[in-house]
Amino acid sequence: MTIFFNTLLVGFSSGAIYSLMSLALVLVWRSTRVVNFAAAGQAILSTYIGYEAMKVLHNYWLSIPVALLAGALISAGVEAIVMRPLAKRSKGTPVEAIAPVIATLGILGLIRSGVGLIWGNSFLQYTSPLSSKGYTIGHTTIPFSPLNAAIVIGASVVLAIFAMIFRFTRLGLSLRAASFQPEISRLSGIRVDLIRTIGWAFAGAASAVAGALVTPTTYLSPNSLDLLLVSGFVAAVIGGLESLIGAVVGGLVLGIGFAFILQYIGTSVTFSAAFIILIIVLLLRPQGIFGVRRSREA
Amino acid sequence: MKLKSPRARFFISIAIGAVLLFISGRVDELRSYQGAQVAIFAIAISSIVLLTGFSGQISLGHGALMAVGGYSAVLVQSHLNLPYPIAFLIGGAVGGAAGFLLGIAAARLQGPYLAGTTLALAVGIPSLANQFHILGGEQGLTFDIGTAPSWIGKDFSQYRWFFWVSVIAALLNYWLLRNLLSTRYGRRWRAVRANPTAAALAGINVGKAKVLAFTLSSAVAGLAGSLYAMLLGLVAPLAFTLTLSFTLITGAVLAGVSNLGGSIVGAVVLVAIPEISGSITSHLGGSEKVTSNLPGLITSVLLVATVLFAPNGPKWPRRKHQ
Repeated sequence: MTIFFNTLLVGFSSGAIYSLMSLALVLVWRSTRVVNFAAAGQAILSTYIGYEAMKVLHNYWLSIPVALLAGALISAGVEAIVMRPLAKRSKGTPVEAIAPVIATLGILGLIRSGVGLIWGNSFLQYTSPLSSKGYTIGHTTIPFSPLNAAIVIGASVVLAIFAMIFRFTRLGLSLRAASFQPEISRLSGIRVDLIRTIGWAFAGAASAVAGALVTPTTYLSPNSLDLLLVSGFVAAVIGGLESLIGAVVGGLVLGIGFAFILQYIGTSVTFSAAFIILIIVLLLRPQGIFGVRRSREA
Repeated sequence: MKLKSPRARFFISIAIGAVLLFISGRVDELRSYQGAQVAIFAIAISSIVLLTGFSGQISLGHGALMAVGGYSAVLVQSHLNLPYPIAFLIGGAVGGAAGFLLGIAAARLQGPYLAGTTLALAVGIPSLANQFHILGGEQGLTFDIGTAPSWIGKDFSQYRWFFWVSVIAALLNYWLLRNLLSTRYGRRWRAVRANPTAAALAGINVGKAKVLAFTLSSAVAGLAGSLYAMLLGLVAPLAFTLTLSFTLITGAVLAGVSNLGGSIVGAVVLVAIPEISGSITSHLGGSEKVTSNLPGLITSVLLVATVLFAPNGPKWPRRKHQ
């Protein structure tokens, strides 16, 4: 029973990070109908910037807002410089559907090799002051550590702020309107292009925080967030790809699912587990938990 | 004789092959190696062109399907002692079988779901090698098809032999696909890509057509994978990374996604990039950081620029659509 609760707690902590990544993908999908595979690249670049900030500021906690800000700017830049012109150029051509996917892959590669050029491919340590050794209760040490607790708290704070912005501000209303009915929003005076860029910025901020929180548990290298991208995508699919709440719930479900697989089957299956879970979800409930089944779009 | 008839294509392929094989005797080992690489990449890129350009599906996991083909070829060759041409065909067949299973799932998926699923596959499959002892873990398995048969000639170097094998396979593959695409199957795929709803109304079984395209494309990728294993002399998880899958897509985009003949252009560019970046770094005296990342940077810039400025692919001299 103790093992069960421990696994649940650890899963909750990694799930919080998947939620952030999944939220980043869902935000972009909702606003521009693109699955942003460059999200891993944007997150890795902003995490490196956070790493540099930590070297200057000598404080892990202060480096997270720096990474967040960098992530938002990078993501907005990607949208404004590449994705928006691309959408206009490829409109009506046979490659309209696949061009954005390919472009985000290109950006992912671009950022990765750019990061490699600047910082090299070696593993760097981006550490938090918190211990990754588990709490001790009585005589037993559980795997849930102060670092895990910080991850859960950090992710929850960011998610809560996001939720408030979307729910209670004018900007949040515009964001939701622009993704729901772009044409009508434009008619009601919303600058849809600008709002889309802002949506990307929010997504970039979410993935940056995910990168800055997860990296202290492992190491930092140009490819170190690839698995996070895949997990984020699986979480988004579990949540239905459309729903912000779904993204968060999907992340938690996936994190806890992973933790149980690792606990009871073994660490060797991590990479394949994401794929198997994804296939199962797509076969059983392709519209996700919170998604709505829709008919074929002609 | 019309230039476009299957027979004409067959003879043209033979003529091109003869010229290439003649040239191979005149160049050094490195060029032979690169020539073989171009031929293998051309096969792999043609699998993406078939899938994306003609049936409108996208796959970020073809590197993993190449791994499936490569590992199968190595396993049947080493455990069953089959001759290597059979091993290559089995590599293709197993790749196709994997693609069939994936295609059943893929045909139900659209755009983002398909891209994400195949991405998960690309990350997941190579890591399987660490779980099964028979797959040799991180070190992988060696693959040795031996030297050229003695009747071909004395002093026939190893890479020249690889070049011959790859070029012959590439030409056969090109000839088969080119002809297949001008049959009703090719027409069905194009119809499905252009407008699935209209294709279904015209009596085409859209799901079936998509699964068939996926299966065939995976078989071609599997063949490319087994040839790639031959060229590297081994199969290992590190040879079939996510980067390989992305590289193939770059090649297909540079080829002009729906241009089968362009796949050779894409392959040449992919092989030339490391060469070009090598000469740049040797001129500038770059560090290890630069040498290991510059090729990726050039590839990605090319990919983004092509998609941005020529979303339909570069304007290679284009035939009218049949």
